[in-house]
Parts: sequence; structure tokens; C-alpha cells
Amino acid sequence: MPPTPSATQPINVKLLLIGNASVGKSSLLLRFSDEQWLPEDESSATIGVDFRVHKMDVKGKRVKLSIWDTAGQERFRTITSSYYRGAQGIILVYDVSNRETFDALPRWYSELETYVSSSVVKILVGNKLDKEFSRQVTSAEGQEFAERMDSLFVEASAKTAVGVKEVFTDVVEQILDTPELWDNAAKGRDTSSGNGGVPGGVQVVGLHADNTQSQDSGCAC
Amino acid sequence: MPTELPYAADAEVSLTYDELEVLRLQYQRELAQAHVTVQTKFNYAWGLVKSPMHEDQVEGVRLLQEIYRAEPTRRRECLYYLALGHYKMSNYEEAKRFNALLLEKEPANLQARSLLQLIDKAVTKEGYIGMVLAGGVAALGTLLVAGIIRRASR
Repeated sequence: MPPTPSATQPINVKLLLIGNASVGKSSLLLRFSDEQWLPEDESSATIGVDFRVHKMDVKGKRVKLSIWDTAGQERFRTITSSYYRGAQGIILVYDVSNRETFDALPRWYSELETYVSSSVVKILVGNKLDKEFSRQVTSAEGQEFAERMDSLFVEASAKTAVGVKEVFTDVVEQILDTPELWDNAAKGRDTSSGNGGVPGGVQVVGLHADNTQSQDSGCAC
Repeated sequence: MPTELPYAADAEVSLTYDELEVLRLQYQRELAQAHVTVQTKFNYAWGLVKSPMHEDQVEGVRLLQEIYRAEPTRRRECLYYLALGHYKMSNYEEAKRFNALLLEKEPANLQARSLLQLIDKAVTKEGYIGMVLAGGVAALGTLLVAGIIRRASR
């Protein structure tokens, strides 16, 4: 396929950052989008959700990324689940120097099972690589778990910028390799290929057990 | 490749009727049992503030005020969503006041900074519209006066 960039419409891609509190989701995004870093005492826990748009060229294609940065704190768990719909890529983050954040991953994956289709691209990110001296999760462990969960894997540091760009390019490349996720012509019936990251289309599925089947059919396209 | 700012995702995106209904039912059920958990109340208030309906926004802001007073540990998110709710209702002064309280505690908070830019932008826009309206009224007045003078001088 010859690269056909420029004048054509960019491909809309919606990415979602999830993972425990304080693993560095917002920091990864800030490093990626603004090439900035805030020290720990200056940064604050995300409230609900934050959102960034970022344009990039991948594999000769223009891609418009909508990146939804969700709060990791337990108290926002219910409301952040409403942002899953329409995501084509999920970035799951843990902190390599904090075992607990790695052990919490199965819970995040089971949430994914509930809210997104299996074709959605997943990438597991071990952040805070700069804290090598206090590492609690080995690379091999992370890699192995990622493989088991059918996910890509990168270790990164938002602080030093190591691996950060790869996180986003790797996930976007894989999305582009999965046309059913973004190409209307190749689209299946799945909601996950929804509205390509355009803000809109949220879904709160059975928040507190009972009721609401998802409104799959409701795409106004 | 710059990021487009400012943006407050929660200001733009509403829940569907059914989604909000889930949160509403949970809240009403607990209300009927005379014990509403903070989480349930907050979730519902959040859904209301995101709503495009004015009366929902009003109710959402009311609930958030209650949570703010009752739960010191939830203050930061209450401030943020109070600012957001008032912003959506075009109460820009109130929006700025709540947002400023959050920024006072967390000067580097990017979400609050972004929301401040949004509010300022809205205020400026409103100012322009005001000027245009005032300008229009002035122009009309001039025409009327001119007409009166012309008629009188005939």
C-alpha cells in the first residue's frame, strides 16, 4: 500500500489510559503530547477524566488521536467506565516500582472484557522505569503477563521520556493493522469501532448490577 | 504537533437518557431507604452536570454543593464539577470562583487551568456579543434620530 497522507481526512483513533492511581497515566500523556514533566509534588490526581487531541503520522497515514486519560482513584471507577465505548486502543499502565499496581491488572482486564470488544488493541505499560533501583516487577514478568493477556508490552518512563513515544506509536500501528477497528468499509457490527474517538457516545453499563443493556444500535451515523 | 487546548471532556459529553437513568434510579432507591452513600450521590450529580438540560445541571450543582459541605475528602472533585456545571449554565462568575478555589489548592492542576481558559474564552465571546448588540442598538438609535430630524426639518 503506497502511503497517501496529507490532503485526505485523518483517521480518528480513540485511546483510553487506564490503571491504578498514581502509576503515571497523566504523566505519560503529558510527556507524549507536550513533552513536559511535572514533579510528583506538583502533579495532581486526575478528576474524572482528562482529554487530549494529538495528531501524528503513522505508516504514512494521518492519524488524529483522541486520548482519554481516566482517573485511577477508586472513587471515579463507576464514572470512568462510561468512557470505554468507541475506544480502539487501551493503554493499561502499572508502576514497575509498585507491585500492587501490577497485581491489580487482572481487575482492569476484566473491566475491559465487560466494556470493549476483543479486537480492541491493548498495550501494557510498565511506567517509572527511572526507578530501576526500587523495581518490584521484572521486565520478564511484565512481558509474560502481557503475552498472556494478548497485549503489546513496553516499559517506559514519563520522567525521562524513555519508551513513551513507542507506547503510542506501537498501539496506533497495531490499530492501523486492524482495519475493522477504523475502516468503515471493513467495519463489523461491533460497537467498539463506534465513533472513532469523537467525544460523544459514552456508555454506562449496568453500573450497579441491575438494568440497562447497552444501547448498541444507537449510533446516529 | 501541538495538542489542541483547552478542552474539558466532561463539559462536552453528556450521558444518554438511559445512562443517566441508571444513576438516577440508584440515587432514588437509596433515598427511599433513607441512606444515600456519597458515591451514589456524587455519581448522579456528575451525570446531571454533564446533561444538556438546564434543570438537570441545576440539580447537579445543588447536590455537589451538599457533598462539598458534608465531605471534606471530596472537595477537590466537587470544586471542579461545580465550576464545570456553572460554566455550562453560563454562570461564568460562579464558575471562575469555584475553579479558583481549586487552583488555589493545586496551582499546577492542568484540568483546572484548561477549564479556566474555557471560561475566559466564553466570557470574551459573551462580551463580543454584548458589544455587537450594543452597537446594533446604537446604530438603530442613530437611524431613528436621523429620521426624526429629517421629518422635523421638512
